[in-house]
Amino acid sequence: MTTVLVVDDEAPIRLLCRVNLEAENMTVLEAADGDKGLELARAEHPDVILLDVMMPGRSGWEVAEELLTDEDTNGIPIIFLTARAEVRDRAKGIDLGGVDYVTKPFNPVELAPLVRDLVHRVESGERDDLRQEKVAELRELLERD
Amino acid sequence: MSAESKAVLFNAVPLFAVAIAYLGVTAALAPNLWRERSRLTPNELGLALVFPCIGIPAAILGAAVLESRTAIGGHLWATFAASVIAFLPALVFLSRWSERNELPSSFDERSRQAGIQRVFYDIASLLATPISQAETLRAVARAAAEALGGASAGLLMPAEDGFELVAQHRLPKEIAERLGSAVAEPLATCVRNHVVIAAPNVADDDRFEPQWRDMAAKAGYGAVLAVPVEAPGGRNGLAVVFFEGRRRFSDYDLELAQNLAGTARGALERSELYESERRARALAQQLARTGTLLTTELDPAAVLDEIVAQAPALLGTDAAVVRLLEDDELVVSAAGGEFPDDLLESRSPATGWAAADAIQTGTPVAVGDVDDEGPAAEDPALAAGYRAFLAVPLVGSEAGLQGVLSVYARRPRSWHPDEVEALGALAANASAALASAELYQRVALEKERSVAILANIADGIVAVDREGHVVLWNDAASRITGVAGTDAIGRTTERVLQRTLESGDDAGLEGLGDRLVPIRRGDDEVWLSLTEAIMRDPAGAVSGRIFAFRDISAERVVEQMKSDFVTTVSHELRTPLTSIYGFAETLLRRDVPFEEEERRVFLGYIASESERLTRIVDQLLSVARLDSGDLQVSVAPTDVRTVVSDVVQSAEQAPSGNGRRFVVDLPTEPLDAEADRDKLRQILANLVDNAIKFSPNGGTVTVAARANGEVAEVRVVDEGIGIPEEEQRRIFTKFFRGDAMTRDPATGGTGLGLFIAHGLVSAMGGRMWVDSREGAGSSFAFELPLVRAAALSGKENG
Repeated sequence: MTTVLVVDDEAPIRLLCRVNLEAENMTVLEAADGDKGLELARAEHPDVILLDVMMPGRSGWEVAEELLTDEDTNGIPIIFLTARAEVRDRAKGIDLGGVDYVTKPFNPVELAPLVRDLVHRVESGERDDLRQEKVAELRELLERD
Repeated sequence: MSAESKAVLFNAVPLFAVAIAYLGVTAALAPNLWRERSRLTPNELGLALVFPCIGIPAAILGAAVLESRTAIGGHLWATFAASVIAFLPALVFLSRWSERNELPSSFDERSRQAGIQRVFYDIASLLATPISQAETLRAVARAAAEALGGASAGLLMPAEDGFELVAQHRLPKEIAERLGSAVAEPLATCVRNHVVIAAPNVADDDRFEPQWRDMAAKAGYGAVLAVPVEAPGGRNGLAVVFFEGRRRFSDYDLELAQNLAGTARGALERSELYESERRARALAQQLARTGTLLTTELDPAAVLDEIVAQAPALLGTDAAVVRLLEDDELVVSAAGGEFPDDLLESRSPATGWAAADAIQTGTPVAVGDVDDEGPAAEDPALAAGYRAFLAVPLVGSEAGLQGVLSVYARRPRSWHPDEVEALGALAANASAALASAELYQRVALEKERSVAILANIADGIVAVDREGHVVLWNDAASRITGVAGTDAIGRTTERVLQRTLESGDDAGLEGLGDRLVPIRRGDDEVWLSLTEAIMRDPAGAVSGRIFAFRDISAERVVEQMKSDFVTTVSHELRTPLTSIYGFAETLLRRDVPFEEEERRVFLGYIASESERLTRIVDQLLSVARLDSGDLQVSVAPTDVRTVVSDVVQSAEQAPSGNGRRFVVDLPTEPLDAEADRDKLRQILANLVDNAIKFSPNGGTVTVAARANGEVAEVRVVDEGIGIPEEEQRRIFTKFFRGDAMTRDPATGGTGLGLFIAHGLVSAMGGRMWVDSREGAGSSFAFELPLVRAAALSGKENG
């Protein structure tokens, strides 16, 4: 079973993620802030982390940096959840080492397929390819701007 | 060998013959011995013969010979020698008599001869020594008197009208005073025909006017000899020698006089050369001095004054005038000397008179005496009593400057070519000095203008030289950077601003558009919008740079705040939207059978997040209204206590309020203010919300209200992170979000809350302020006008 850690300070959004992922037979762990998120990631080694960027205390970017520099956790793919719609904010997430990003507002029904596909590709050793795709996508967006 | 020494030799040769014939070897050898011992010149040989013969019987011959030589002159020597032989016995007697009686007079004679020698010697030495004309003339006068055995002598040279006494030797005062003006016949003949005029007995000489004769007699003079003296340049004068008592003039005297004239001429020529050299040197020195003075003067008017002051000094004249060409007329621009006041600025045509000719022809115009020249030598300045003038053209290096420099002399005079040349040189100096002074004035004016412009423009202007050292730092640059010009000049921008303003050397001009450059001004960061111009020397190397910059910190802050606002509003809008949209989509899922309880929770979130969205939209609307000035407040007597209680109660119940202690400090009496209840609630809610948000570690939030004079004062105090002093000043401005908010996105907020609160308080006729210390909490306070007791009681009664 796939375990997903949701890190977001907004309770309704954590709930949204939980009900929709659990509906697809995934296990959901919740953290209301960055510290709690780090703690759970280290303890539970989830398969995927859905990480909000704008949180009180440690921001999502800080949490991601810490996870990715820790050998114990740097294998966990991170999907950023962000209300910052600007391309350069999204690019920052990918630059940091995230594999994907989801811009708020999003359709929670599409979360589970996204997570499933991502886990599959990462397990097939295509993590880098995934990131390359995202980088190319962002580059295209940047050029369009 | 000079003429006189030849004559002496001629006299000496027969003397040798006589001496050898009559006196034998002793006498003949004696002069040779003498000559060897004393190394005398040949013209002294005749005298030398006499001395060895004294004391022997035949010596009288020597004395007699000498006497005769003096008296008769050379061409009679043969006859005389024959007579001597014939009358030898008589001479032997004479010699014996002479031994007894004539020796003293022979000594006199010898000393007279010695005097003559000395005089010629002096004249000869004068020829070899460059001395001044005055000294030469004095020497000639002395020589005339002494050589001819006269008592005194005067030297007369042609002057303006007639003759003037230019030098004298022992002339009595009465004669010295009259001699110059008393040149009549026969003295005029002496000058005219270059002949020696001898008057052995002047008292009876009717060639002289009676007054003249009278004059000589009164001074005790009996004889006069007039000797023509030729000076260089055809200036012919004469030496007048006076003798005490009557005097017979021998041919020898006359010949001596002629010789004297020749000698004097040589000496005068010599002194003329010397004078001319001295004049040239003096002119050169004066010119150099004037040139130095002129080159150091930078004011054109002062240059002109300097010229008219220096020109007369240069040539020894009495006045000088500079006229400059303006609109085809010559305008007197400077005058030195005695002139009527209206000469300055007076105008004359640029053609048709002497000074104008100088500018027309470009050559000097020299007039020695206007009386001789006639109307061709007109010059208006002459009316002030001048007789001679010299005008030279002034031609500047620029075609624009043209004029005439003229000098004036009260007495007629000649203009030596050296002097004309010197004045021309002065004019050239003056023209150059004028041109540079005018150039300097223009440059100074330009500079003044540039400085004024640079001082008054709002942009900072900084120029650096090749080495990057600041050479210009205008007032705006000082204001913007906070560095005074005096501290910046001579240093690099890197030293002055702790960062370089220069772009790379390779940047072309097109690559130097506006750049944004942050610098430090004290503790502040200042953003400069900077443009840079690179100056290059002909080789293409950077020879300097000019920077122009504006302080766009304020604009930048506003831009940054707007950009942050967009990001923040985007976040603030997207967060509730995510829940609303997300729960709606979730509820729409057909594959998951949600229970009733779950559905209610989802729908509850949709409702509360919709409210949250509405609040944000309302807030934005308030801002728009505050901006446009049509924010409506409906004030009515409102008990502030009730609103405070309501707001605090909601805050305590909200999840965000958890862990904070709320203290409410209210008066027991009603606190009725003129306020809009809803807006007052909005203001308080915002302040309390902020107090909670910025007290991350909990602590007490105190809300107090009290009457303070005519106002109700409300205060919200927290124990949170506080606000830096610098931020306190801007905290009520639109879009402003404290540093803590920008660092921590979750503290969120649009940056509009306090702006709106402040605007609302103002709209209700109150004011709002903040007291805070970083790290020690904040106290936001506002006051609203209290309802006046009378109005309130009236209302209650009604």
